[in-house]
Amino acid sequence: MRMPHVCILRTDGTNCDEETATAFQMAGAVTSFVHVNELRSRDKCLADFQILALSGGFSYGDDVASGQILANELVSNLGDDIQRFVEASKPILGICNGFQVLIRTGLLPFGQLGKVCATLTNNESGRFECRWVKMVTENEPGCVFRPFLIWEAINLPVAHGEGRFFAEPATLEEIERQNLVVLRYSHEGEPTMEFPYNPNGSVNSIAGICDPSGCIFGMMPHPERFTRKVHFPNWRRGDFNKPDGLQFFASAVNYAAQL
Amino acid sequence: MPSPQTGKVKVVLLYKTCENHLEQLPRFWLLLVHHNWAAILPTSRRNPVIQVVRVQGKIGDPRGEDLAAEIRSTLGIVSVEQVRTVKVYRLENVSVEQADTLAHQLLADPISQSYSLNQPTVIGAFAVREVAYKPGVMNPEVASILKSAADLGITELVAADTSYEYHFFVNGSLDANQLKTIVSRLLVNKTVQRVLESEPTTLLIGGQAGPIRTIAIRELDDLALIALSAAMQLHLNLEEMRVIQEYFRDLGRDPRDAELETLAQTWSEHCGHKTFKAKLVVNGVSKPPLMSRLKAASMACESPIVLSSFVDNSGVIRFDEKFGIAGKVETHNSPSAIEPRGGAMTGSGGVFRDVMGTGRGARVIASTDIFCFAPPDLPDDELPKGCLHPRYLLRQVVGGVRDYGNPMGVPTLNGSVHFHSDFRAKPTVIVGAYGLIPIEDCQKGEPQIGDLIVTVGGKTGRDGVHGATFSSGEMTPDTIENASVVQIGNPIEEKRTSDALINCRDAGLIRAVTDCGAGGFSSAIGEMGSTIGARVNLEEAPLKYSGLAPWEIWVSESQERMVVAVPPESLAKFLRTCKGFNVEATTLGAFTGDGQLLVTYNGEVACDLPMSFLHDGLPQRTMKATWIDREVSSIGSISPDPVTAYHRVMAHLDVASKEPIVRMYDHSVQGSMVLPPFVGVFQDGPTDAAVLQPLPNSSRGIVISHGLNPVLDRIHPYWGSVWAIAEALSNYVAVGGYLTQAALIDNFIWPFPDEESLGELDQAVDACVDIMRELRTPFVSGKDSLSSTYRYPDGSVLKIPPVLCVSAFGSIDNVERTKTSDFKKVGSAIILVGRPDFWGMGGSVYSRVHNVQNGRVPRIHPSELAITLRETTRLLLSSDVLACHDVSEGGVGATIAEMCFGGNLGAVIDLSRFENKLDLGPLSGFFNETAGCFVVEARQDLLGYISDYLTETPWSLIGITQHSDEIVVEDKSIHLSVSLSSLKNSWQQPVKEVFHS
Repeated sequence: MRMPHVCILRTDGTNCDEETATAFQMAGAVTSFVHVNELRSRDKCLADFQILALSGGFSYGDDVASGQILANELVSNLGDDIQRFVEASKPILGICNGFQVLIRTGLLPFGQLGKVCATLTNNESGRFECRWVKMVTENEPGCVFRPFLIWEAINLPVAHGEGRFFAEPATLEEIERQNLVVLRYSHEGEPTMEFPYNPNGSVNSIAGICDPSGCIFGMMPHPERFTRKVHFPNWRRGDFNKPDGLQFFASAVNYAAQL
Repeated sequence: MPSPQTGKVKVVLLYKTCENHLEQLPRFWLLLVHHNWAAILPTSRRNPVIQVVRVQGKIGDPRGEDLAAEIRSTLGIVSVEQVRTVKVYRLENVSVEQADTLAHQLLADPISQSYSLNQPTVIGAFAVREVAYKPGVMNPEVASILKSAADLGITELVAADTSYEYHFFVNGSLDANQLKTIVSRLLVNKTVQRVLESEPTTLLIGGQAGPIRTIAIRELDDLALIALSAAMQLHLNLEEMRVIQEYFRDLGRDPRDAELETLAQTWSEHCGHKTFKAKLVVNGVSKPPLMSRLKAASMACESPIVLSSFVDNSGVIRFDEKFGIAGKVETHNSPSAIEPRGGAMTGSGGVFRDVMGTGRGARVIASTDIFCFAPPDLPDDELPKGCLHPRYLLRQVVGGVRDYGNPMGVPTLNGSVHFHSDFRAKPTVIVGAYGLIPIEDCQKGEPQIGDLIVTVGGKTGRDGVHGATFSSGEMTPDTIENASVVQIGNPIEEKRTSDALINCRDAGLIRAVTDCGAGGFSSAIGEMGSTIGARVNLEEAPLKYSGLAPWEIWVSESQERMVVAVPPESLAKFLRTCKGFNVEATTLGAFTGDGQLLVTYNGEVACDLPMSFLHDGLPQRTMKATWIDREVSSIGSISPDPVTAYHRVMAHLDVASKEPIVRMYDHSVQGSMVLPPFVGVFQDGPTDAAVLQPLPNSSRGIVISHGLNPVLDRIHPYWGSVWAIAEALSNYVAVGGYLTQAALIDNFIWPFPDEESLGELDQAVDACVDIMRELRTPFVSGKDSLSSTYRYPDGSVLKIPPVLCVSAFGSIDNVERTKTSDFKKVGSAIILVGRPDFWGMGGSVYSRVHNVQNGRVPRIHPSELAITLRETTRLLLSSDVLACHDVSEGGVGATIAEMCFGGNLGAVIDLSRFENKLDLGPLSGFFNETAGCFVVEARQDLLGYISDYLTETPWSLIGITQHSDEIVVEDKSIHLSVSLSSLKNSWQQPVKEVFHS
């Protein structure tokens, strides 16, 4: 088994790259920061990596719409490289802004580059929200990032202004039919639409989804911000089990190590 | 693209290549225009085609809903039922088909938005207003649109702009005046925005560069000198103008405009700190300058943690063997008063750059925000002319801090908001930044002869011209008309600049770096080259648009720019690294070694001054101060209902929960936060200080806290200032920080220093010096802002309350040693540590909600504070201490309530422990606000040995935690039960109302 090499994609406004790299390293991977310019200029090649991570931030200032400029850049200029990466069943992770990018490239929810089927739009509250939320995972999806335990309450922080997952009813039905929802915002163990437990008003309480292959995964909460006990605001109260965020990275690294 | 040149007209279209290797993008346009170009250009250019794309949401419009709620609640215009917002994109020089492609693929989200092309998208509104940036104000979105259009193969797009339409749907009537009020109060800040009245014909900005002028001052008399200073907005006084006049008489020539501007900027209060450096005469007795007293007391602390103190853009103390922590706290009051959102953004951007520009460059890892406003319910008729309403200011300032820190990826993790009606003329906006820096890079860099002067980051525009001198002036009704001093920040530019510079630093390519703050290139290059001299070719500076006079380029304070001294052999690699991060870097000149500041523009001299005159030519002032100690006696008697009083204290804005503000700031980015602003069962119990763990592989942490109390400062500047320092350090110690590892930062935000105000300032500095002597905790950085004065048209003056804001920061060996404020267990002992000054009820929230004015403020004696803080630091190492929270606004009553909220536990309090020295009701002692006191939750076991820790510090057992929804307060004669859930509601509601949350 070899250590998978993670491409941590950077561009103007990426700002969660360092902690995302740290999380992958803690999970046993090797990481490299790769500026999108380096992929466009062919100084670096996506095919040399086993995992692609689009970390959080405000790529290009979230101008026009969150993640839109980078999504357009990836589809227009690096579409072939990404398509080959997907076809090789290599994991792609999008966290927060990275999730927004994956949605706007069409890679999520149905793995179709250039075909946008869903959106992450302004939080229903109209405000940026930074808080810890609880989520439940579901048992069906074969998502390579999914933590090992099912229906478990997962604690992670969110910090975003545009995280409200939305799709037309027919699309939503298809997402549910294919069991693409990996994480739902929850309250007392049940999926919820109630603020602040559902911090943005996402339909069907969707916090994270994968594509039908299970290799492409995006989530609004930040798993890289809960990789150590002390990250949890209430560890001093004793109500603490494990750093929930780390499991997402560990799952994907385990998978990629077999590739 | 063609470069049309016809006949006498010379139009030069330049475009630079984008930093990408593959594409050439028309991202950076520079248009130089001579004569009346529109009349002579080919037809296709005479009427440049602008396509208009309008985008609206299909699934709700939170921006419109929030605005409608604000119109109804703040302006009381209830007829406005709905506001629909539409985002408008104007695209120049593309076809309809191309515009449609852009709209479809880029500008409108296919799922949640719809768009229209060259026609309205919302119809049927009662009224519509479109708000756009004024021409010349940088719209950061435009560069992204041009880039993305090129990614889509549409390279014809030469310019773009974005704006918002507001469609008002009304039930009943909305008259012209009401609409005007909505526009002026909530939609448009006329400093940077305008209502679009007609379709623009072009989006390109052009103009002719202004000439270098010579200002004849040698023959002017005193009156004319003063008039000149005013006309040029130099903010120099007669004595200073005379020094300049004398200098140029000796030189035998008149100064050029850029030379006067350079002197005005360098000698401004903002940059020169003339008052802090002045010789003082207090009540007829000479005293050393304020600055030298602070520095001397700091040195005398002989603190082993200090690495760089009062010499650089921030102070640096030790973190571990490899790294230092840089800390800087800045004020941005004047810009925030007239353009609160832009002012707060550029405040954040500026203080981040101070940290980025420390030593050879630090990485920003945390920020803080501290505000003082008038209450948001201030009646309109109490607002001085030319001032913005505090409710609008508060919402906009919070928005500005959010919209800089969040995109920059810097956690905003500690702050506070304070209210006093005299902030109605000018708010106080304080932003702090902290960074991590390798110890070998932490000393201020010294440029060497031959090093190149390189500007990195944003371009230079007319925005921010005269900010340094403006910030040094009083506020008047006309200040708000002062257009170009405020700008819109671009955090993404700053973020990539920071990334690029840290890469360059680690590659050893940087000799010295500083930020372009107040005074722009003039200040940055003038300071860097102050001993060796510099030569600058100003025409090399990248501009946002043409038409700037050389002096404007020289003093412009356009944001997101840094100046770096790069050794010649490192230049190529430096420029290449910047390019890789899409950061523009341009060589402007070199450091010369001749001690002269020589600035030329296309070969013509714009400024030629010796550095020695610039930096040492300003004569040291002698300033008179008066101080009459204020002995305030008894303050009347009241007997309020105790339960109601408890609610009123908790609902006072100085005590009320600021959670709605905090939730809008990203405090967990960088993955370093280990003690967030709110903790507890429902994560709504406030904490005293932030703790971060900046290096994932080290258990070491950084503690950050602050303290201030403008109300107490106004009543008594010495005791108010001691209170502020005590509060900052109590917050620091309450979370488990060690006093010996802490350093302090001062911010004096004071009225214009007339004799009386200067006397008060002298008292505040005395407080800092006394504290340093007793605690041996050094100040390592600071800032003074002496313009908290508003002058009414009739000449009368409103002095804004003086503020000493004290920030504390330092390292802790293991973040697992830190404590939180939430009660943890049932049956714990509740212990009060420290000696409350029960005579000091003046300025307390309890007194203020009952309209009891002034009175004696709590007196905290520095020597006693030193003992309490040292002993409490030790006490908190005990594992039997479960929680700790310091006493501040709202007194012990508020402290206990907040600990109960966090822990979702009740408490029984023994009221007999609280003395009522004054006739202010049975609970008044419970609401005493002596800082430097702590409420500690501990296992009962601790009572057996607490005296081993607290050998000199008074303490008392004041209660016990219990499993209930009430706080019981009792003694022999009184028994009160206060419902926790209703108390929490009183405490949470006020700020929620301001933010509609």
